[in-house]
Amino acid sequence: MLLIRYIPCLLLKDNGLVKTVKFKNPKYIGDPINTVRIFNEKEVDELIFLDIDATPKNKEPNYKLLAEIANECFMPLAYGGGIKTFDQAQKIFNIGIEKVAINSSVHENLNLITQISEVYGSQAVIGVIDVKKNFFGKKEVVYNSANNKSKFSPNEWAQKLVNAGVGEILVTSVDNEGTWSGFDIETIKSITESVNVPVVANGGAGNVEHLKDAIVKGKASAVAMGSMVVYQKKDFGVLINFPNKQLLNEIK
Amino acid sequence: MITIINYGLGNLGSVQNMLKRIGAPCKITSDLKEIEEAEKILLPGVGAFDSAIQKIDELNLRSVLVHKAKVDKIPFLGICLGMQLLTRSSEEGILSGLDLVPAKTIKFKFENTSNLKIPHMGWNYVTQNTPSKLTEGFTADHRFYFVHSYKVVCDNPTNSILKTNYGGDFDSAIQNENVYGTQFHPEKSHKYGMHLLTNFSKI
Amino acid sequence: MQPTKKRSLSEGYKICKKCIYDNSVPSIVFDEKGICNYCKMTDDLIAEYGTGNSKGQELISKIIEEIKLTGKNKKYDCVVGVSGGTDSSYMLHWAIENGLRPLAVHYDNTYNTAIATQNITNITSKLNVDLYTLVVDNNEVDDIYKAFFLANVSEIDACTDIALAETMYRAADKFGIKHVLEGHSFIEEGISPLGKNYFDGKYIASIHKQFGKLKLKTFPNMPFWTFIKWIAVKKIKKIRPYWYLNYNKEDAKILLKEKYGWQDYGGHHLENRMTAFSHSVYFPQKFDIDYRNNTLAAKVRNGKMEREAAIKEYYETPPFIEEGLIDYIKKRMNFSDEEYEKVMKAKPKYWYEYPTYKKRFERLRPLFAILYKSNLVPKSFYMKYCFPVTYTK
Repeated sequence: MLLIRYIPCLLLKDNGLVKTVKFKNPKYIGDPINTVRIFNEKEVDELIFLDIDATPKNKEPNYKLLAEIANECFMPLAYGGGIKTFDQAQKIFNIGIEKVAINSSVHENLNLITQISEVYGSQAVIGVIDVKKNFFGKKEVVYNSANNKSKFSPNEWAQKLVNAGVGEILVTSVDNEGTWSGFDIETIKSITESVNVPVVANGGAGNVEHLKDAIVKGKASAVAMGSMVVYQKKDFGVLINFPNKQLLNEIK
Repeated sequence: MITIINYGLGNLGSVQNMLKRIGAPCKITSDLKEIEEAEKILLPGVGAFDSAIQKIDELNLRSVLVHKAKVDKIPFLGICLGMQLLTRSSEEGILSGLDLVPAKTIKFKFENTSNLKIPHMGWNYVTQNTPSKLTEGFTADHRFYFVHSYKVVCDNPTNSILKTNYGGDFDSAIQNENVYGTQFHPEKSHKYGMHLLTNFSKI
Repeated sequence: MQPTKKRSLSEGYKICKKCIYDNSVPSIVFDEKGICNYCKMTDDLIAEYGTGNSKGQELISKIIEEIKLTGKNKKYDCVVGVSGGTDSSYMLHWAIENGLRPLAVHYDNTYNTAIATQNITNITSKLNVDLYTLVVDNNEVDDIYKAFFLANVSEIDACTDIALAETMYRAADKFGIKHVLEGHSFIEEGISPLGKNYFDGKYIASIHKQFGKLKLKTFPNMPFWTFIKWIAVKKIKKIRPYWYLNYNKEDAKILLKEKYGWQDYGGHHLENRMTAFSHSVYFPQKFDIDYRNNTLAAKVRNGKMEREAAIKEYYETPPFIEEGLIDYIKKRMNFSDEEYEKVMKAKPKYWYEYPTYKKRFERLRPLFAILYKSNLVPKSFYMKYCFPVTYTK
């Protein structure tokens, strides 16, 4: 039986790892390469790296660092942040990274997804949907580090991404991110029920119960964890860790 | 020495990394002469079937690969798309495969009511079918990372050496004499992948 | 890879009759019975601190009461520095057993192994202890390490020791805590020979100033007046419970494994990659120093190992080196293979060739004599820093 995937989602800023809350106030967490080594030793299922500076600062992905990270990893790696062209995606794949996660640039150019998936396969492209409540409480699709809004609803955008050729969707709740209060189950469920590709829940994981909710109630195929795997506890010290595998295996 | 074929598609770096880690000498090449002299071949692959076949044909690799497999009969391993390329054809494209294992590649199809998503993506278990040197020592715990939308179906069940369940059993690893294929990515499967590649390096 | 230089037992080396320190250890003196001054120092410390006997038990019980009283209305009454290693993990267990309310403090130099972080996770969650961490920026710490490489001195990981001490003080200060517990055991670890290596805040700053490139914004160094602030103004005390107790490392490991699922990383300080590199590669290959003699000598002194077996291990078995460790260090330091070889082959330099606070500590000996008696600095600090040393090159 296909196992549920539990994926540490790590944020890159300059040459280091950071953690944000609601996409703001990045706090330094540590060295990316050593952290990957640690997760590798723990035989974690998969890793996602997102460069939070690339798009807002219009920077190229840090290929050198990514190559060093890929070198340490004997499990699948996904990278997102600042990918605007086919060539950039190609460079990422050549480094040894399995998947690219794209958000901002496809709001202006959905065709980029089609271009990449036609050559590398849809499983190599993750469509990223960041969701944030607006002033009136309505959930909107945002991009460019939550600075821009899309006119499409989360479900509509999910459909468009799938039609363009993504093999997977990463749904992140900006409002829940870094809060340890649980995922945005409502949005996740709505998306998983409307598309046929695997959906990864992200943003808000604080304990194993939350992970269970995302899978059982939200029907996600995988869950991503941020704060939970880099801090000892909410509001406490940095400590790279991963939930006990036995506990995770009990979630069905 | 394991010769990793570079035809422009595939996770060469990762494969090389893992082979280095297990101490198996290897090199990456697209040079016809080097491939002709290879003692063992590894054919990686990530992406679309036709893209891959096109690139292989552009580099004139088809005949040397087929020769090494069928005539010289050296140990030959295809990974992921590389395994699909060993079959005669794929529903994903219109070009012919290398036809080194009697099998075809078809798309996963599930009922609308099923919860199963395509691609088959993530860690899944394997169960042994026909015994093989490649899978020696495998246990019920062995699991690997899969990521594919198409699956291989062997004409002859004995060519299937591992099966995996995803909406029904499919062939996750195949063998035809000296030619092997794994649908999953051993280079991304931690110690399980290292086990398989170590077995391959000893064949 | 440079082979470890072999010590030949027939080359006129003199070895202590009791432990295994030989005459290459700095400041070593043998008495008429052939027993070294380090063995004598150990005996003196045992007498003063009552290690493992009723005197020690009484002394530490008094200290425990003092900690509880001072910390009564605070969230935590003591700080325990944790690294994921045996001594600090057991210290946390001991603190809880004795009714203390510790805050675990960790300085992350970005070279932790998975085992270390897992051990810290397991023990803090099982004991329900909060963790405070200071993570240094990886670019800064690599800049400091590289500076030490280029300076050709041996104390490459001194910055971690200083940073941990400073981090513990900062954490204590933040929560109004007046006692810091350290897991050092002179019985288990031996006494670090005087003059062999040395470090203080100024040493780190001078090496970095000369050979480093980046501005240090997150690295918690401890300049002199900051040190004085912690000990003389904030009056934060350093307590080493193992100096009073019958602490046995092997027994501690067994308990930790059973109770907390603790995992062994195979050797003193190997839970951190930089310390592992410095102990297993840097010291032996560049300086012909093998610090295993500290722990081995201690084991022999307290009867945990046969002297012959210790000598055999020390002289005949090379240190264990984790696979890929050297490549990893080269990667972090951004050294090419050639640059690394060049640095490893370069002529060693010594701490006394760079600016430090050493002379100042010597001049302030009377002050530190008072401070150690009030537990504001450990006695070993007083012995090591406040006296001039004789160093053999």
